[in-house]
Amino acid sequence: MDILNGLMQGFSVALTPMNLAMCFLGCLLGTIVGVLPGLGPPATIAMLLPLTFKMDPTGAMIMLAGIYYGAKYGGSTTSILLNVPGESSSVVTCLDGYQMARQGRAGAALGISAIASFVAGTIGTVLLMLVAPPLAKLSLAFSSPEYFALMVLGLAMVVLLAGDSLTKALLAMTFGLWIAGMGTDLFTATSRFTFGQTELLGGIDFVIVAIGIFAVGEVMANMEPEKPLDMLPVPKGLKNLFPTLQDLKDCRFAFMNGSIIGFFIGVLPGAGATISSFLSYGLEKAVSKHPEKFGTGVIEGVAAPEGANNADTAGALVPLLTLGIPGSGTTAILLAALVLWGFKPGPMFIEDSPAMFWGLVASMYIGNVVLLILNLPLVTVFAQLLRMPGYVMYPLILGVSMVGIYTINSSVFQLCLLAVFGLVGYAMRKLDFPTAPLVLGLVLGDSMEKALRQSLMMSQGDLSILFRPIPAVLLSIAAFLLIVPLIKKFNSVRAQVIDKEA
Amino acid sequence: MKLSKTICSLAIAAMAGFAGLAHAQWKPSKPIEVIVHTAPGGGNDVLARAMVQMLEKENLLPVRMQVLNRPGGNGAVAAAAIAEKKGDPHTLGVVSSAWIANALVTREAKVTLHDLTPVAGLLQEPALIAVRTDSPFKTLKEFVDAAKAKPGTLKQSGGSVTSRDNIIRQTLQQSTGARWAFVSFPGGGERLAALLGGHVDMMVIEPQEAGEQIRAGKLRVLTQISDKPLSGFPNVPNLKQSGFDVGSSPQIRGLMAPPDFPKDALAYYEDLFLKLSKTASWKKYVDDYQLEDSYMNGAGLGKTITAIENDLRNQYQQAGVKTVR
Repeated sequence: MDILNGLMQGFSVALTPMNLAMCFLGCLLGTIVGVLPGLGPPATIAMLLPLTFKMDPTGAMIMLAGIYYGAKYGGSTTSILLNVPGESSSVVTCLDGYQMARQGRAGAALGISAIASFVAGTIGTVLLMLVAPPLAKLSLAFSSPEYFALMVLGLAMVVLLAGDSLTKALLAMTFGLWIAGMGTDLFTATSRFTFGQTELLGGIDFVIVAIGIFAVGEVMANMEPEKPLDMLPVPKGLKNLFPTLQDLKDCRFAFMNGSIIGFFIGVLPGAGATISSFLSYGLEKAVSKHPEKFGTGVIEGVAAPEGANNADTAGALVPLLTLGIPGSGTTAILLAALVLWGFKPGPMFIEDSPAMFWGLVASMYIGNVVLLILNLPLVTVFAQLLRMPGYVMYPLILGVSMVGIYTINSSVFQLCLLAVFGLVGYAMRKLDFPTAPLVLGLVLGDSMEKALRQSLMMSQGDLSILFRPIPAVLLSIAAFLLIVPLIKKFNSVRAQVIDKEA
Repeated sequence: MKLSKTICSLAIAAMAGFAGLAHAQWKPSKPIEVIVHTAPGGGNDVLARAMVQMLEKENLLPVRMQVLNRPGGNGAVAAAAIAEKKGDPHTLGVVSSAWIANALVTREAKVTLHDLTPVAGLLQEPALIAVRTDSPFKTLKEFVDAAKAKPGTLKQSGGSVTSRDNIIRQTLQQSTGARWAFVSFPGGGERLAALLGGHVDMMVIEPQEAGEQIRAGKLRVLTQISDKPLSGFPNVPNLKQSGFDVGSSPQIRGLMAPPDFPKDALAYYEDLFLKLSKTASWKKYVDDYQLEDSYMNGAGLGKTITAIENDLRNQYQQAGVKTVR
C-alpha cells in the first residue's frame, strides 16, 4: 500500500508541466549524448550542474536522470550503424548490431534496441520501486572476493565470444588484460607499462581501444578491395524498417535476461553497465538454440545487451538512493548534485525526501515512454544514413571516431592511440583474430586484478577467502564454461579415431 | 535587468580598482581557464565548478571563468598543461595534496608544483576515523590496542597507497607499534560499502560523506582529524585528545598558475580569492561540506606545499613507498 501511495505522490510530482518538460529535455539530451561517441553522461551532467542551481531540485534530478538513462537508448545507434560504440556499455551491441546493418536490417536492429531498452528500463524501474531497500542491504554482502569471481565468470565467456579458434581468442583476451594493467598501480603507486609517457599514467581509456579496434579497424579493412565499394542495402518502405513480429518473439527471452541481469549487476557498486551487457550477451548465447549464429547478426544479440545496459541504470540508482553509495561515475556526480542542492543522500534519504524519490521513480516510467516515442521515428531517419555511398560513409566513420575521442580529454596523444589501435584492429581482422575477447579482457582485467588483490589483503594471503559460498558458485560456473569446449573437442577426436578404426 | 547588472559590475570593478590601486592595476581581459586534474565530477572538478558559480553569483569577476578537464596521471597531465601556458595571466589550475603526493612517487610526472606559481590556498579538508556502529571499538585507543594485540587482523579500507588515509595509518602505526592491513579501493563508494558490509573494520572518511551514515545509525566516529573542531562533530575528540600526539599532513586545495606569472596578475588573483573566501556563498559551501576555510596568499601556499612535501617524503620512506624526488 505504501508503494501505491508513494507512486501516486510520485506521479503528482512528475506530471506537473514543469517536471514533464524537464523529463522530456533530459531524455532528448540523453539521446543526443548517447548517439555522439566520446561525450558520455558523466561529463554532460557535470557540465550542466551549474545550470541546475537555479532550478527546482526535483525537476533538475528528473532531467539529469533522464540524461543518464536516455544516453543508453542513443548509445546503440552508432554501434549498429557505424560499428562505433557510442557508450562503453554499447560495445557488445556492435557484434551483432553492425552485422545486421550490413545485411540491410539496420532498422530492425535500431528498433529492437529501442524496444529492449524500453522493456528493460521499465522492468528496472519496477524493481527499483519494489525491492530497493532490501536489495541494497544484500548488495553489501558482495565484496572483493565476490567481485573477483564475477569478473572471472565474465572472462570465461571468452569461450562464447571466440570464433573458430579458442587459442586466438585467448591470445586476444590476454592482450586486453595487458592493456588493462597499464597505468599507475593503486596498491603500490608504481607505474606499469607507461614507457615514460605522462599520458599513460592514467592507463588507456577503454573507449579509445574499442573505437580504434571496432570502427577504425573496420574502415581500413573495407578500404582494401579494389572494386568500388558497395552501398549497404536498405529496404524500401516504412514497414520493412521495423522489427517484425517474429523478431519480437525471438527476443522474448532476451528482454527478460537483459532486464534481470542488468538490474542486479547494476545494484552492485563496482561492477558497471559494460559488464552487465557482456554477461547478458553471454547468457543469451549460452541458452540459444543457434549459438553459432551469434556475431553474424542475430537480433537477440542486440536486444539482450541493450536491455541490460538500460536496466543497469535503474539498478545503479539503488545503492545511491538507499545507502548514499555511488557505484559508478555518473551516480557519483548525481550524489554530488544532491548534496549541492541541499539534500542528504544516505540511508534515510527516501524517508526524508519522499517527493524527490517517488517523483524520480514516476518520471522514469514517463521517461521510458518518452524515449520509446522519441527513438522509434529516429530509426527511419538513421537507417537512411546507410544509403550513403562508401566514399562518404567511411570518412564519416573516421571523423566521428576522432571527434568522439578528442571530446573526452582534448588530447592529441589519445588520437595517436586511436590510430595505433585502429592498426591493431586491422591486423587482427587480417590474421583472423576475434576482437571481442580483447575488449572483454580490457573491460574486466582492471577490476578483476584489483578485486583479487583486495581479497588477498583482507585474508592476509589466504586463498580460501575466494571459496566462500557466492564466489565458489560463480567460479564453478566459470570452470564449467571453460571445460565444455574441451569435452566437445575430446569427443569429436574420439569419434574420428573410432571412425578410422572402423 | 541587463543594464542594472552592467552598472553593478562596473561599480564593483570601480571599487576593486580603488581598493587595489596601490598594487593591482591588472585586470583579466578575456575568459579565464581553470585546469583541473580530474574528469568532470571528481573532487577538484566539483570544487572548481562551484567556485565559478560563486564568483559569478557574487559578481567578483569582470570576465567568464571556464573549467578545463585534463585528467590523467593523478595531476601529472594537468600540471604539464598549466606549465605549457608559461606567463599566461588567464590560466589557473585547482590543485590538491594529491599532486604533491603523486609527483613524489612518479618519475613520469615531469612538471611538479615547484615549477608552477602558487596563487592562493583555499581549503583544508578535515577527516574522520569511523567504524560501524556494531563494532566493539568505542575509541581510537581501543582500536589501536586491538591491532597491537593481533597484528594484521584488523583492516582499513582506503584509497591509493599514497593517499592521506594510508599516511594516517602509517603515522599511527609508527607511534604505537600496532599493525593493521590497508585495503585500497579506487572509489569512495566502494570504500564505504566495504566498511558497511563488514569486510573491513575502519576507514578514514570525509565528514560530509559520514554525516548521513551516522544519523542513520550505521557508523560511529572515533576521532576527527582537523585543526579546529568541526561544527558538525562537537563531541568527537581529535587525535591528540584521543591519546595520540601525532601530526597529520593537511589535505589542501588551492590555486596555482603557470610559470613566470606576471606579478600584478598574481596580486589581482590573491585579492580576488581573498574576497571570494569572505562571501556568504563560500561560507555556506564550506559549512555544507564540513571543510576548513584556510585562505593563504601565494607565498603562504608555496611554503605549505614544501612543508607537506617534506612530510610526505618522510612518511613514504618509512612506509617503504619508493620516492623519486
